Parts: sequence; structure tokens; C-alpha cells
Amino acid sequence: MSDDRTMLTEVATGLFRDLCTPEDVVAAEPTGWSERLWTALSESGFPAVSVPEEAGGSGGDVADACALLTVAGRFAAPVPLAETGLLGGWALAAAGLELPEGPVSVAVDRPDDAVELTGGRFSARLSRVPWGRRSTRVVAFAESGGQRFVVSAPTAAATVTPGRNLAAEPRDTLVWDDVELADDALAPAPTGVDTEALRLRGALARSAQIAGALARVAELTVRYTGERQQFGRAVARFQAVQAHLVTIAEEAELARLAVEVAALNARPDPSFPDVAAAKSAAGEAATIAARASHQAHGAIGMTKEYELGQLSRRLWSWRDEFGGERHWSRELGRQLAAEGADALWPRISTGLVGA
Amino acid sequence: MQFAPTVLTPAEEALRAEVREFLAAELPADHRPALGFAGRHDPHFSRTLAERGWVGMAIPPEYGGHGRSAVDRFIVAEELLAAGAPIGAHFVADRQTAPALLHFGTEEQRRRFLPGIAAGEVYFSLGMSEPDSGSDLASVRTRATRTDGGWTVTGTKVWTSEAHNNHFFAVLCRTSPMEEGSKHAGLSQLIVDLHAPGVTVSPIPYLDGSHHFNEVALEEVFVPGDMVLGELGSGWRQVTSELAYERSGPDRWLSTFPVLREWLRERPDLTDADAAVLGRLAARARAIRHLSLSVARSLDAGEAPAVEAALVKEVGTRFEQDLVEALRDAAETELDQGSGSLFRALLAEAVLTSPSYTLRGGTTEILRSVAAKGLAS
Repeated sequence: MSDDRTMLTEVATGLFRDLCTPEDVVAAEPTGWSERLWTALSESGFPAVSVPEEAGGSGGDVADACALLTVAGRFAAPVPLAETGLLGGWALAAAGLELPEGPVSVAVDRPDDAVELTGGRFSARLSRVPWGRRSTRVVAFAESGGQRFVVSAPTAAATVTPGRNLAAEPRDTLVWDDVELADDALAPAPTGVDTEALRLRGALARSAQIAGALARVAELTVRYTGERQQFGRAVARFQAVQAHLVTIAEEAELARLAVEVAALNARPDPSFPDVAAAKSAAGEAATIAARASHQAHGAIGMTKEYELGQLSRRLWSWRDEFGGERHWSRELGRQLAAEGADALWPRISTGLVGA
Repeated sequence: MQFAPTVLTPAEEALRAEVREFLAAELPADHRPALGFAGRHDPHFSRTLAERGWVGMAIPPEYGGHGRSAVDRFIVAEELLAAGAPIGAHFVADRQTAPALLHFGTEEQRRRFLPGIAAGEVYFSLGMSEPDSGSDLASVRTRATRTDGGWTVTGTKVWTSEAHNNHFFAVLCRTSPMEEGSKHAGLSQLIVDLHAPGVTVSPIPYLDGSHHFNEVALEEVFVPGDMVLGELGSGWRQVTSELAYERSGPDRWLSTFPVLREWLRERPDLTDADAAVLGRLAARARAIRHLSLSVARSLDAGEAPAVEAALVKEVGTRFEQDLVEALRDAAETELDQGSGSLFRALLAEAVLTSPSYTLRGGTTEILRSVAAKGLAS
């Protein structure tokens, strides 16, 4: 890891350690939101990492943003860190739109979404928008007169129906009914700035969060099984329990490396095969490791106060968000099939690519 | 845990391109890919590979080798395995015996064996398992007793790969009686000529019908005194120490890759469900490769990633099996070794041989116990 990124990670870790303790996460659960944490993150410029400074962001690249998201995942941070910068901020900056104050969220054209843009008037129904109710703007794509636009839709003008994922993180449905958009809320979308690219960034972001959460799950499980005594000894002394520890470590490392490679290869944008492979592997890792960790923890893991549940409920949610394992495996498989049998190995053996 | 993503240097990329070019020229288009390092014994291929400098890569030039890095060896190994190249003749000597000779062997032993190994002409088997000793190697009963000018060895070794084709094997045996409380003491490794008088090699028929493994009976076999590998009484340390790091190479996660490729070749019009199987396996293979390559890089940096290596082998060999079952399920066919397409023949072979992946070179259970100790500390 570069020195700058290591420092960024260390500073962020300190901040989360102070302001995002397991108790803080429990306290934030009714609203899915920590104002105190968001304020501190904003003051440090973290939400806008990877958004160019000239566009009002904090600079840095996709790998920096992913390093931050890994830390955020580890601490189960109840804030839209990924959505504001790496996703929404990216699209806004690319289209020359202003990065607004406060959290930003995004919509990636889900099957039941509808968007209509006519002469500056905007109607839309966007579902499962992360922290939709908390965001000041929601970034979406719309077509009008044969042209694609980035829309920075003001949340204040929308009707909000709350929803949540398994970890009670807000996933809201927002409806705009024939709203007049201001000039600063609309701009033509440049080539390469589209729903597909946004979904790719979303999948990478969730993979990074999964990797962070898995690292913490691994630590918690080693610690707990080393302390918990049954039959006169620590349960970690039993081979059957050791098998769980090994499985968790493998899955956590496998996911982390897949994410790091995808993030480091993003110069400047994440590539489809990297992200598809990372989300597929991280999603599977989330499933396997959460199961093994709960099994190793026994009943304590099922209490809502214990930290494991904060992480496992996020893992069970994040693996599906921005496309689950089947989605990304299928899309990756389609591309591999199109490239043919003899291209399969060269593709698999392409890892981290030199600058 | 010290897995770190690593980039291949331009020189390493060039090596990879060179190996790919060589394999494209050397392997006939219709060759039947071998599954894994034990797949096929082909001295001609081993010699040809050695001429290119891709055998004995870890061996220093003064012993006829090439003094290459762990990452260079990784690159060559993964290309060979992915292509299903017939590397069975030299692979064990190259991966296991040569490093052991370098670490523990006498100067005379190095001069005697290493040039032949690097030339792809001298082949070794491993002489560890016995009828009553599998994972618990310290319980071996093969005994060596001192005699004029050397040792007399008596005992039985099993699961000796290619003993009927190879030249030597490194026999783990007891050179002094087991003492109470120190069962790891008194073990030594002797280099035994597989053609010496008193050595009887007989096949152990394998599940897929192939002759790969053997029982090797040693009946008062004379072994010259200078054929003790390493220090007398240090056999246990030798077989369990540094060599453990050799666990995590591409031979631990690529054995069944040719089955996947041939499936794709025969089934280009994938259904959505098939595409998801392909994508999932490719994604996981890629992720495991990142881990395995990172271990090679850290070996080159002089580190000792024992826990990491155990994790890679544990997860990699299970992946090799997982791939086979995922493809069997997707193929919706009845398996028959003797008929059908190349893919189906490979799949049948893989189903029959895949249980061995999580047994050979340290069972999954042993690896978990090695890794778990490291994780807890």
C-alpha cells in the first residue's frame, strides 16, 4: 500500500474507533444514521475522496476511496460514505455538476424504477436508495430528446417511503412528481458515465465494505473462541472450531485481495472483470464466513448487542446490493464465454496490472 | 497475515509470454491435458522444458540450475499446469527434492544430483507414507541400521508416486530407536536408489485405473553412508520445516482447471445458469491466485509465510474439488471414462482422482491445525 494510503487508513481508523464504537452503531440503529460521525467525516473530507479537487472533492483515487470503505465496513459505519463520493460524487464531477453539501445518494436503474425527464421537468420513482431520506441529492441517469443526462435530484422535492436493509441501513423509495429542476441539477452525461459504470462502482464499494467487515469478523471470532471456555478449555482448542477459524481467515483474505486488486487496477475507473470477480468472490466469502463465525460463536452471536450481528447483518445485505453473486458471476461468465476457451486462462491470470 | 497484492514486473510478464509461446509450439493441439502435477510422466517433455531453463529454476547455477526467484517459478508452474502439460516426471524432484538438497544436503550430494534434476533427467519420489503412517509421519517403522560403509534399510513405503519410473526416493526412516517422549528424534532421510538390490516396486491400483502409485518394499537394502540427507536424526525437522512453504504453489489450486476450459470449449453457447457457474469459478480461481502469488513474492522477500501457505493449500485444494462438482452438476451427463468428448473424459478422471487433492502433501485436517495455531498466536 502506498504511504499516503496507509496514512489515510490510519487516520480514518482512529476516527472510526473514537466515533463509531459498537455502542454507537447500536445507538444509531433506529435511524440508521450517525450525525456525529458524518460531521467528523465531512470535516476530514473523507466522503469526497476520489472526487477531483477541482470539482470540489478531496482528490485521491479509487483505491484511496476503497481503502476508506474497507475501514468503514469494519466499523459498520451508519453513513453513506460510498454513495457520496465514489458513486454520486464521481458522476456529478464528471458531468461538471456541483458537489452539494451533505450526503449524496445514487440510483442504478433497478427493475421497478422509472425515470422521466422532459424539458427540465423530472418525474421518477427510485427504490432502495441508500440513505435516500438523509441525502441532499440523489444522482440518477435520465434520457431526454435522445440525450443522456446526469440528474442531481433534490431530495427535498421528493416523497420518501422509508425502507431498510437487514442491518437497518436506510434503503428508501423516493418519488418525484413533475418537479422543475434547477440549472445546477442537470447536465449531459459524458461517455462512460452511465448506469453500468455506476453499478460497477457500487459493486466495488460494497465489496470493499464486505472485506473490511470480514477482517473484523475474523478477529472477533479468534478472540471469542480463545476466551470462551467449555469442557474445561477454550473452544478454539477443538479442531472442529479451528476449522471455522481457518475458513473465516481464508475467505476474509480472499475477498480483501480481490478488492485491493480491483481497486488498484482502477486507473482511473474500475474494470468490469476486476469488479465482477471481486463482487462474486466477496459475496460468496460473506456467506461462508458469516455462517462459520456464527457457528463458532454459538448463541452469543445471535444477540443484537454483540458486535458480530452488526457485521453479519451488513454482510447479508451488502452481498446482494449492486448485484449479488449470481448477477456478477453470470455477467463475468458471459464475457468469458464470448472471449472463448483459449482466452480463459489469460483472463484468470491477469492480476494486479503494472502502472 | 501478510498477503499483499503484487504486480508482475515486465521481466516476469516476458517470462510468462515466453512460456506460453513454448507451450503453444510444444503441445499438440489435440493433446489430452494432464490434471495437476502428477498427471503424466513424460521424460522427453521434461528434458525439453529443462533445455529452456524451466526445470531446476531454484537451483543455483553452480549446480546446473538457474537461480531464479519464487515468482519466476510460480509463473512457469502456473502456465504448465493451466495448459495441462505433462510435468509428472520432474515435478517432485524440482519442487521438493532440489530445495531439500540445497538446504540440507552435503556438497557432494548437491554436485551429484542437482545437475541431473536441473537437466530434467533425474527423477525423485517421496518416501514418507507407510501402511501404518499417514499424517502421523513420526510413527514410521522403516528402520536403518549401521553396517560397514553405510546403512541397511528395511521397511515398506506406500503411495510412492512414479517409483516404477523414477530413479531415487528420499526415505524417511528411523536411524535410532524411538525413545519415550521424543518420537520426533531418531528420524533421518536417506536417499535410496530405486533400482538397488532388495528394492521391490509394485503398483497400488488407483481409483481411476491408472498406475501412478506404488508400494516400495525395502528388504535389507544397502545405502551408502554418504546418502544420508542432512543431519542424522534431523529427518523430522527437515520434512516439516522450510519445505512447508512449498505448499502454496499453483499445483494446489490449478489441478482441475483444464476441465473448466474444455467445458467452455465444448459448450460455447452457455445458458445463464452455466455462465454463472463459469463466472463464479473464474472469480474464485482469480482470488486464490492473488493469494498464492503473494506468498511467492513474500518468499522472495525472505519471509516465512507458513500460515499463509497452509491457508492457500487448504482453500486451493478444496477449490479444485469444488470446480469438478460444479461442472458435473452443470454438464448433466453420465460419466464414462472411456467414451465421450475430451471434456467428459477429463471430468470422469477428475471425479475419480479429486479426493486425493485434499490428502496429498498434508491433509486438509492437518493444514487446518497448522493454520489455526498461527491464527491464534
